[in-house]
Amino acid sequence: MSWVRASSVVFLKEVHEGFRDRRSVLTALFFPALGPALLVVLISIVSQTSREVDEKGVSIPVAGSQNAPNLVAFLSQGARVVPAPDDPEEAVRRGDADVVVVIPPDFGERLRSGRPAPIRLVVDESRDQARPAMRAAERLLGAWAHQTGAQRLMLRGVHPAVVEPLALEHVDISTPASRLASLLATVPFFIVMAIFTGGMAIAIDTTAGERERQSLEPLFTLPVPRGVLVIGKVAATCVFGVVTLVETLLLFGLVPVALPASRIGFSVKLDPWMLARTVGLGLPMVLLASALMVLVAARARTFRSAQTTLSILTLLPALPGIVLGLLRARPADALLAVPFLGQQVLVMRMLRDEPVDFIQATVAGGATMALAGLVIAIAVRSFERGRPLFDE
Amino acid sequence: MIVLEGIEKSFGEVRAVAGVSFQVPDGRITGLLGPNGAGKTTALRIVYGVLRADAGRALVDGLDLGANRLEAQRRLGVLPHAQGLYARLTAREHVLYFGELQGLSGDRLARRTDELVRRLGMEDFADRRADGFSQGQRVKVALARALVHDPPNVVLDEPTNGLDVAATRQVRSLLHELREQGRCVLFSSHVMQEVSALCDRVVVIARGRVVAEGTPDDLRRQTGREHLEDAFVAAIGSEEGLS
Repeated sequence: MSWVRASSVVFLKEVHEGFRDRRSVLTALFFPALGPALLVVLISIVSQTSREVDEKGVSIPVAGSQNAPNLVAFLSQGARVVPAPDDPEEAVRRGDADVVVVIPPDFGERLRSGRPAPIRLVVDESRDQARPAMRAAERLLGAWAHQTGAQRLMLRGVHPAVVEPLALEHVDISTPASRLASLLATVPFFIVMAIFTGGMAIAIDTTAGERERQSLEPLFTLPVPRGVLVIGKVAATCVFGVVTLVETLLLFGLVPVALPASRIGFSVKLDPWMLARTVGLGLPMVLLASALMVLVAARARTFRSAQTTLSILTLLPALPGIVLGLLRARPADALLAVPFLGQQVLVMRMLRDEPVDFIQATVAGGATMALAGLVIAIAVRSFERGRPLFDE
Repeated sequence: MIVLEGIEKSFGEVRAVAGVSFQVPDGRITGLLGPNGAGKTTALRIVYGVLRADAGRALVDGLDLGANRLEAQRRLGVLPHAQGLYARLTAREHVLYFGELQGLSGDRLARRTDELVRRLGMEDFADRRADGFSQGQRVKVALARALVHDPPNVVLDEPTNGLDVAATRQVRSLLHELREQGRCVLFSSHVMQEVSALCDRVVVIARGRVVAEGTPDDLRRQTGREHLEDAFVAAIGSEEGLS
């Protein structure tokens, strides 16, 4: 009997049995919903808060506004000026206020006499959330100082441009969609998680589980090369991995439907073409993940220890990608050859609408397939030596 | 025909089989008798190809298990020490799975499976999932999948363990039938009644060595005891581990 035929007998039996296992099927059905559901919730929250800022504008608390009515009038053109709390520093420290402008009593007198007028900006640089208010206050104060200085120069017959060697223009390209990028960094993470989680139950069931239920020894008495068993079991694990992967991507594809641009003010870029290409990137990962899980589960002492080890194994390949995504670092192209990481980087690039060329995708896929081949070879050798039944 | 030649096997410090040689002829039932821990299961595991011998060799119809495992295993039907079933497959699916891995298919496999279902009295549970089968039902499924390819040699590790009287009788009659068909039958047991009721030949094993061999009559003669039970005890050197 040929290897192909024998492997397909093992494969069909494992898949057949796997689909009768409620735990495997339920995991494969419901786990993929987790990532897309979380993304919908996070995007809703982010779009809500950014809309609130846009609508209400930034508010700047000002202490001593009676000391500089003109300045305050200028500020209120660009922000909402509100009365400052009693203790500005304490308020900023506690996070009650993002920024406080303190105008001392001698402000007007120093301004009139042409000396630099003191003004204090109380901020907490370590708070990211306070940054929009801080920036707004700095920008408005700077603009007022610039305007006042220019008027003084003109009074003295000097053209203000003389003291302005730079024409600095501040262009903010951040958009709600780009602020979304750090949320989308979770997409590659969930893709990798889905690939592992989908096949995990069957990988354990057909190795450590088969030994624990004492059905492996009868199987080993049959005249089939042990490699046939490994290939059948890895292939069956792949089926569940592929089902979970495709389902995850379909559900991610529904995220823009659940959150239309008309409702959140920007569009979530998870279009069908991008997701279809992600399936292509995902398939080599499914093969490697399945081979790894079969190998590791076959070497585990018990069903339980296989579960524990595989849960940890699942996180390892997923983590570097999410860290890169959150840091928004641009990794070296050499990292594309690192299985799992390479694909996560490429998915992330597609999400940011950056170009992904075919060669990059091939490098990532090829390296992953090569490693999968190696892992399968190790697993075959391990089975030939009696694993998971005995360790000889 | 099964031949063991100077088989040795150790697990770490423990010497499970310390040089075992014997022959199992066709058309006979040969019993491997010994107390628990004597090395019966290890010796059989080497014969049916799931363990490798440290030294010596096991031959099935002249084929060496070490050098030619697949060819040798093709000529073996095995009821191994572990007889686990797949909880989510039916009895019939077990037999079909093993049949396909033995290279059978289509009508031939379906007919052979029906034949075994009838022969082993599995009609009532053939299409039920194995989850919840009684010990007797489990052994029948394990026997059916072991015999699906009509093997000339049959090896069974403690086939009647945990069976009730009726099931034990059915297994015995099956073994007799296999002998009538001219097959080579090797089974292990630590139950003396079983061995004396079934066997044409007995190989007594203790502490990893063969301590006596022959027909029950030979054994009585060799040990000078009239009762077979006394002969076994004399051969093994103690009553420990027998029943």
